[in-house]
Amino acid sequence: MADINDIKTAFLQELASAGTAADLQQLKVKYLGKKGILTAKLKLLPTIPAEERPVYGKLMNELKMFIEGEIEGKESEIRDAERRSKIASEAIDITLPGKYTKPGKMHPISTVLKEIIDIFVSMGFDTEVGPEVELDYYNFEALNIPKDHPARDMQDTFYISDDVILRTHTSPVQVRTMERKKPPLRFIAPGKVYRCDADVSHTPMFHQVEGVVVDADISFSDLKGVLEIFVHLMFSKDTPVRFRPSFFPFTEPSAEVDIGCILCGGAGCRVCKGTGWLEVLGAGMVNPRVFEMVGYDPERYTGFAFGMGVERITMLKYSIDDIRMYYENDIRFLRQF
Amino acid sequence: MRVPLEWLKELVDFSISTDDLILKLTMVGLEVEGVERMEDDTVLEVNVTPNRPDCLSILGIAREVSALLNIPLKFPECEIREEGGPSLVDVEIADEDLCHRYAGRDIRGVTIGDSPEWLKKRIAKCGMRPINNVVDITNYVLLEMGHPLHAFDMDTLRGSRIRVARSRGGTITTLDGTERALPENSLLIWDGERPVAVAGVMGGAETEVKEATKSIFLESAYFLPSSIRRTSKALGLKTESAYRFERGTDIELLEKALDRAASLMAVHAGGKLSKKVDVYPRPFQPSRIKVRYERVNRILGASIPDDEMTDIVQRLGMKAEKGPKEFVATPPSFRGDIQKEIDLIEEIARFHGFDRIPVTVPKIPISKEAKDTRYHLMARVKESFRSAGFTEAINYSFMNPRMLDTLNIEENDSRRRTLILRNPINEEESCLRTTLAPSLIQNLLYNVSRGSRDVRLFEVSRIFIDEGALLPEEKHHLGAIYFREKTPSLWKEEAPDFYIVKGAVQSLLDDLRSGDYLFQPSSEPFLHPGKSGDIIVSGKKIGFLGTLHPYIIEKLSLKVSQQDILVVEMNLDALLASVSGGVKYTPIPRYPFIDRDIALVVDESLPATGVMEHLRAYPTELIEDISLFDFYKGKNIPEGKKSLAFTIRYRAEDRTLTDSEIEELHGKLTAYITAKTGGMVRGT
Ligand SMILES: [Zn+2]
Repeated sequence: MADINDIKTAFLQELASAGTAADLQQLKVKYLGKKGILTAKLKLLPTIPAEERPVYGKLMNELKMFIEGEIEGKESEIRDAERRSKIASEAIDITLPGKYTKPGKMHPISTVLKEIIDIFVSMGFDTEVGPEVELDYYNFEALNIPKDHPARDMQDTFYISDDVILRTHTSPVQVRTMERKKPPLRFIAPGKVYRCDADVSHTPMFHQVEGVVVDADISFSDLKGVLEIFVHLMFSKDTPVRFRPSFFPFTEPSAEVDIGCILCGGAGCRVCKGTGWLEVLGAGMVNPRVFEMVGYDPERYTGFAFGMGVERITMLKYSIDDIRMYYENDIRFLRQF
Repeated sequence: MRVPLEWLKELVDFSISTDDLILKLTMVGLEVEGVERMEDDTVLEVNVTPNRPDCLSILGIAREVSALLNIPLKFPECEIREEGGPSLVDVEIADEDLCHRYAGRDIRGVTIGDSPEWLKKRIAKCGMRPINNVVDITNYVLLEMGHPLHAFDMDTLRGSRIRVARSRGGTITTLDGTERALPENSLLIWDGERPVAVAGVMGGAETEVKEATKSIFLESAYFLPSSIRRTSKALGLKTESAYRFERGTDIELLEKALDRAASLMAVHAGGKLSKKVDVYPRPFQPSRIKVRYERVNRILGASIPDDEMTDIVQRLGMKAEKGPKEFVATPPSFRGDIQKEIDLIEEIARFHGFDRIPVTVPKIPISKEAKDTRYHLMARVKESFRSAGFTEAINYSFMNPRMLDTLNIEENDSRRRTLILRNPINEEESCLRTTLAPSLIQNLLYNVSRGSRDVRLFEVSRIFIDEGALLPEEKHHLGAIYFREKTPSLWKEEAPDFYIVKGAVQSLLDDLRSGDYLFQPSSEPFLHPGKSGDIIVSGKKIGFLGTLHPYIIEKLSLKVSQQDILVVEMNLDALLASVSGGVKYTPIPRYPFIDRDIALVVDESLPATGVMEHLRAYPTELIEDISLFDFYKGKNIPEGKKSLAFTIRYRAEDRTLTDSEIEELHGKLTAYITAKTGGMVRGT
């Protein structure tokens, strides 16, 4: 029986020094193969005395299973090691940059315009459009600004002919929409507008968003509510809002809407001219005369309208201090947003 | 309007602090835009809106302060001693539709000289230059009471008469020494023979008060605002006087202004005052306006008590007769802006305080309108170009008409149908854009001259084509420009610039699910004829892309390297019209496909799309897809030839195709395409 132990000892020694799958294969053949050591020993079984045979057979069997198990264990150990080293050799430098087309940027005016539109659309407003080259009638007369009225001085106009102009505000869209549709109405009209002054603080073209709400019982308090929500969504929830009387021929009562200066927090700075307030919107109740012009009954319907300059809001959002930057289209400016 | 506080306090004795006053005025609609603090006084710069000409004076501001603080107004006092008997000047209003009242008086024996210091100082604080005692006093009263006056040298008035009548042409030399053609129908002041002043705008030089003047005739009148505005605009002459007349002056107050000025002149220039002449053919008719208490609160969304409403109106100098449901207000002559109920609602809101009106949210049914799909599509167009590496530009809608010449645009091209501005800022911006390309080319020039070597810009804006109607056609266009100097890239060779830009266009068309599209050689006059294409969607040209013609680059004296400059322009309205609405699901194929390749050697001049079209036209239902996967010229390919390799994907809807079936079909297709293209299969 001592030979069984010798075989085991010899096997374990050889197993320990086997380092590759090939070594193991050899070992397998040497011990378990058709001409292997164990097979040879088993062939000698009939020569063992009959009374010892069962014990010897059992031990031999145990040895066979032991060797098989050891080889299998070692095999999977080697396989794992090989896989690990293969994976390790496949490593790349993940800090090298990825390949992609670097996306461009949206113009800051576009971005802010979209933000404004999205806020009002989320409040249930529709969007309306109108022509940029407009009739004097829609731009002025239907908005209660007759020819020879001093209110025309508020807006320097580009003329194509006596009756055709570049719209000076988005308000003509109010009239065109009211002519086409019946209340209830709640819409905004974003777009380009033109005024023929160009200096440090004016560009001959800029963007406005007009808003209108008309129904049977719309009041000035509703105007305050809607614009307050807008300011809070556009700037921040704790931005103070102030309404003060003003004049627009197509609204009455008319208001300028100021927000607490977002740059100095109301303490007073260069941008707010020391007042702590920034004018961001013009608004008011639609003048009954405008309703009459479009054929609405002013006794039945009331409404409010508001308008804002997108350039101004964009300036505040990004601390841009020169309005002319918007239209120079300098890549070094545009790529910042 | 500049308001010195020392002067204001003379008319209304308030005790609140300056900061408090500024806030109160601002919150009542008289926005204080600036504050000038001087050694002994503070001057407020008040922004007076066009509807409030009554506030264009110290008196007007004082009236608002008095109403605001509920303290009495002290009207500027004056003492009149009419020692000179009746006026020597006859006054006649010939055109009373334009002049509702004309008053005046003469002052004989005046001595023209300097005004007293206090008076000079006051008008200077308001931004007026002292001239002499008579002129300064008219200006002083203008500032104090808001009513413009005019003084004539009486001895220069021929025939001792004043006639107010329309112009009949001719010219006048005005006070500023300019000879001006008199616009037809403008209102003039005539003496016995000739026009001596442009009514309400500016006096004539010949009747001007000078150092030697001994007697003056002082005018205080009411002129129709629209008439003054027309004349002032026609003459291009803006004066303090016209500014007030065109906004509306107080027809009742003019008499008091006349007395105030005359009494000051008697004191500071000497002379005897005549009796007043006052021709008043159209007297002021006070209006009575009904205001419903309920309507006020309905418009404002407030609950202002009835008494507060009438109290506010009374403090503003109006009569208010109270009834149970409404009150009747009678506005004074200086409030021409108050004509309707809504005007009074505004006054009530203003004085009640906008800040005291509640904040509510409108109760309005949700919209039944379809969402504006165009807006969303435009946003997708922009997003598509942005992700393709282009940055958004926004240009003015103006264009230099000469750019059309630079770009060789032909005379009959629709881009020549420009709208021309009557009053452009400059020649370079004198017409409206009919194409976006010129602006983008300018953007390129601008950026390159500032050192940029990577200019990829796009713009989505309207263009304007004059089609002969009253208003032009406004179309949305997408324009893009591409210029990029090649820099060594880390990964792999990029496609040539043309194909990068074409890829951006294709990606947009695919993303929008536009109609079928293809690219055809373009004949745009400013593009390289061999490196440009028209974009054809659903059979119609909607735009172009291509390399700027070398000749144009030369003309623009663009100093760039050999690199191509690519321009794209598309009519988005036409493109978006081709976008199909919905998507319909098609079942996923149940049977497998088989891919087979064909590599063809064809003439270099044969476009790839031509070969593709032939393949697509092959009559079988078993070809599911054809794609071009290789393009090659050079070694192993004969001169003047190129190799194109396609993958053909075969699939049947109802069965698995067999190898022999495919071999046969692919063989036939190969024979067909070589015959059609006159090419040969590569590698056989
Ligand atoms: Zn500030």
